[in-house]
Amino acid sequence: MNKALRQTAFALLYISILGPMLWMFISSIKPGYEIVSSPWSLPNPVHLINYSKAWNENGLGHAFTNSILICVGALIILLPAGAMAAYVLARYPFKGSQIIFGTFLGGMMFPFFLVMVPLFFLMTQIHLFDTKIGLILVYVGFSLSFTVFVLTGFFQTLPNELAEAAMLDGCNDHATFWKVMLPLAKPGILVVGVFNAIGLWNEYGLALVLMPSPQNRTLPLGIANLASTQQYGSDWGALFAGLVIAVVPVLAVYWLFRNEIHRTMMAGALKG
Amino acid sequence: MAISCAPGGGSTNSTSASELSGTEPAKGKIEVVAFKGGYGIDFYQQAAKDFQAKNSGVSVTVTGDPHVWEQLRPRMVAGDPPDLMYPGWGLDHWKLADEGQIYTLDKALDSPAYDGQGTWGSTFEPSILKLGQKDGKQYVLPYFFNLQGMWFDPGVFAKHGWKIPATFDGLLTLCNQIKAAGIAPLTFQGKYPYYLIENMIIPWIQDIGGIEAVNDLQNLTPGAWKSPAVLQAVTMIDTLNKQGDFLKGSVGLTHTEAQTAFLQGRAAMIPCGTWLHSEMSATMPPGAQMQYFLPPMVTGGKGDPSAIAISIEPWMIPTKAKNPGGGIAFFKYLTSLDEAKKFVIQKATLMSIKGSDQVQLPPTLVEPARLFHASKTIYSYIARQWYPAQETEIENALTSMLNQELTPRQFCDRAEAAADKTRNDATITKHHLS
Amino acid sequence: MDKDSIRFSPAEQTALKRADSHKNPRRKSKRNPGRSMFIALYLAPALILYAVFVVWPLIQAFQFSMYRWSGLSNQSTMIGLDNFRALAHDDHFWNALKHNIWLEIVIGVLVVILSLVVAHALIAKGSSVKWLRGVILFPQMMSLIVVAILWMFIYNPQFGLLNAIFGALHMPGDQKTWLGKPDTALAAVGIAFAWYAVGFYAMLFAAGLSGIPAEVNEAAELDGAVGLQKFFKVTWANLWAMKRIVAVHLTITVLNVFVLVFIMTSGGPDRATDVLLTYLYERAFTDSNFGYATAIAVANFAVAMVLTLIILKAIGRDPTEARDFKRLKT
Repeated sequence: MNKALRQTAFALLYISILGPMLWMFISSIKPGYEIVSSPWSLPNPVHLINYSKAWNENGLGHAFTNSILICVGALIILLPAGAMAAYVLARYPFKGSQIIFGTFLGGMMFPFFLVMVPLFFLMTQIHLFDTKIGLILVYVGFSLSFTVFVLTGFFQTLPNELAEAAMLDGCNDHATFWKVMLPLAKPGILVVGVFNAIGLWNEYGLALVLMPSPQNRTLPLGIANLASTQQYGSDWGALFAGLVIAVVPVLAVYWLFRNEIHRTMMAGALKG
Repeated sequence: MAISCAPGGGSTNSTSASELSGTEPAKGKIEVVAFKGGYGIDFYQQAAKDFQAKNSGVSVTVTGDPHVWEQLRPRMVAGDPPDLMYPGWGLDHWKLADEGQIYTLDKALDSPAYDGQGTWGSTFEPSILKLGQKDGKQYVLPYFFNLQGMWFDPGVFAKHGWKIPATFDGLLTLCNQIKAAGIAPLTFQGKYPYYLIENMIIPWIQDIGGIEAVNDLQNLTPGAWKSPAVLQAVTMIDTLNKQGDFLKGSVGLTHTEAQTAFLQGRAAMIPCGTWLHSEMSATMPPGAQMQYFLPPMVTGGKGDPSAIAISIEPWMIPTKAKNPGGGIAFFKYLTSLDEAKKFVIQKATLMSIKGSDQVQLPPTLVEPARLFHASKTIYSYIARQWYPAQETEIENALTSMLNQELTPRQFCDRAEAAADKTRNDATITKHHLS
Repeated sequence: MDKDSIRFSPAEQTALKRADSHKNPRRKSKRNPGRSMFIALYLAPALILYAVFVVWPLIQAFQFSMYRWSGLSNQSTMIGLDNFRALAHDDHFWNALKHNIWLEIVIGVLVVILSLVVAHALIAKGSSVKWLRGVILFPQMMSLIVVAILWMFIYNPQFGLLNAIFGALHMPGDQKTWLGKPDTALAAVGIAFAWYAVGFYAMLFAAGLSGIPAEVNEAAELDGAVGLQKFFKVTWANLWAMKRIVAVHLTITVLNVFVLVFIMTSGGPDRATDVLLTYLYERAFTDSNFGYATAIAVANFAVAMVLTLIILKAIGRDPTEARDFKRLKT
């Protein structure tokens, strides 16, 4: 590819990705009527009140907190549980371990919609419907497929010698895992953790069905509600501010870890 | 599986053997869940406080949300509903009635009213109360009610010397005048086609074919959707559309977008119920006004020119409520004359309680109230609630007609096909308007 | 994953065998009684959570699809396969499926082509590429809700980005209500999806491209193949493993598209953008027919399985197998 062509291609890419996002940021600090009347002007004056409106009046601050609690809560359960299961499946083969692994894998195949109705019913029955802990547990359940899949592959690549050395040193299976193998798996767990965090932060479908009440809403639900609420149908400013509030934390986390993510994606992809 | 298998899928009408007496004194905790729409829930919350003050030992909680049915649905499934509920438009309350999930309230209506003067039932306007009945039994009760109609800005009209026409032909002429001034004559809430249907098409069907034409539609009479009245009414919309009398892009607008366009002066008229002012008051541009009018008549129509279409919003008592007696007691209080009058003044809407509009009416309510009292025919297009799947199909067909993908005749064919499907589906409970 | 499956080339199989060296026959005979306990204990938390919240509802889903249930109370009637019979004659269902398939083909091909182009840019050398690698996944980082709302604004007839561009370039046409007109609505949603998805598949393809041994590229160039010719004759064949992953993942994602359509058009206008999952949602929540909705979900799952099998069959064997085998032998 000659240079000029490449530069043009790059430019087009940057514009098509960053363009809409930039427009979103700029619009978020304009008053609502200006977004509608002059969508291309720069904000004049800068209308930061959109953010406080979105945060306070429209409950996005509350939804933000809910999302943090739920994501962190889910990760705290998901990562240890997933790592433990992946470790066993990777290094301690037994009759049926392939089936179990396959079962976890199968979970990535179907949409949650298939289980939406029974899940809704189940949560109602065990009185976990519309509760943060209920959604956390459901999120963990649904994230296990991807997590176990990736971490199993990861554990399989760790060199055998270290585990054997630890065993010879007198470590039992438990100690080997927690003291030796798990620390080695940190990069894999980090990336899986980041991917899951981003996915759960943005998750909409399950939350929509299982968390209807306003005080329990997660951020995506809050945004959707803001977009459709009657009273604020014409408050575009607050809506754009809300979009930015939802997007910035994710972008920040992703940018921080982009190299690790990139590396693991490339490596994992090569393994097929 | 934990779903209990009850026999039959049609109308399992299993109300509990002992109906609500309506005479239980209020006691204990009463939980009320209400739809938070154009009128909010602050009124009910204040009434709850007043009720608690008047009844020691009683606590009333009122919660609500613009999507309150999403929380009510699982509660109904789990058998843990509130004592009094107003689910808004997202929960099929007629299905709840079918499945015996809400009480019949006839006995309660025969009990004394809140202020002791006569029966509770007699405090309601009969034509409105009837809308909450199925098979002659009262399942839901009305509170405020809405008049369907159209709105214009008298300030804008006065400035241009325009007048609201009395006939459809007059409307066409007026539209040309408005277009000449560079304004769109009409807009509508395209994302929700029922605005056009309930506020313009159905009234025009009544106007052309009489109330029988509308009743035929609601009673699923074969061929009703292909009647000349329906075809003509739909053609009128098509004419307006083809002549460019609708604001461009209306078909994709939400209700707030269309209504904002109207209030900003980009369109001169809009169909909407009498909740328009309450819904838009916070975002109305300064100087904008709104006044109610009925869709202009067709010359030579069979129908009653004073007829008005209304709609009610349902309040009900679930059979699995823990304190249904308390729910009734609180609702009796809400529907007392004094409370009803307060609601009229604060929320600028008419109420289903007799005499509630004998107050200083808010300006946007004057014309609707006058027309309501002068009307000889009060009706409601309630089939929309009875047959939701059919209604979706009819609304879709209307959207296609507005996008000029269908002719009016093809719209009628599709609507009739949808009605046919409903008629032949034994699993859908049929209602009948007498 | 069985290392003997045909999914892996011999080179990969060798690599996996090495990784499996922990399956040391010597260790097995050292019967450690605490080991079974260990295995069970470590598997338990994940398995229990998975079984309760994923597997059990999945089993129930197949059950629910055989009932008529409104979802408003716990009254229901067993009706066997009636829901499925009705589904077979349900025009709206086939209409929705048709849209999913349209998206699979049209948007699917678009996404694959764009991803391949971007992938080539991603593996280029140079510092400018580092920034591109970071930015390319930005759309994927956003919640689909945000993507949907953002694109609704882009398509907005009055103040949207797209109409502004068309206006600035003085392009003609009344194509102003992109989401409101039946002939443009589905494509409009599809493009929003493509914007969201390309980055992810580009990364996968980039990984695949960088996995092609340098000798292969050199040999092709020596043979005189350049540009597109080189791509079709050489590169595309060598992307075998990645093609599979992308094809399966993309197919299933498009089949399960929901949020974008739901938020942008709710399946309208007049079902022009209705897809399987928006139709399911309508039957469950608007029509209060949860049993039927679950039947739709089961059908969706069946279609996913069928499509996946077709893809795996079509992109079956590794065409580079023979060559690598020869290399190993030397």
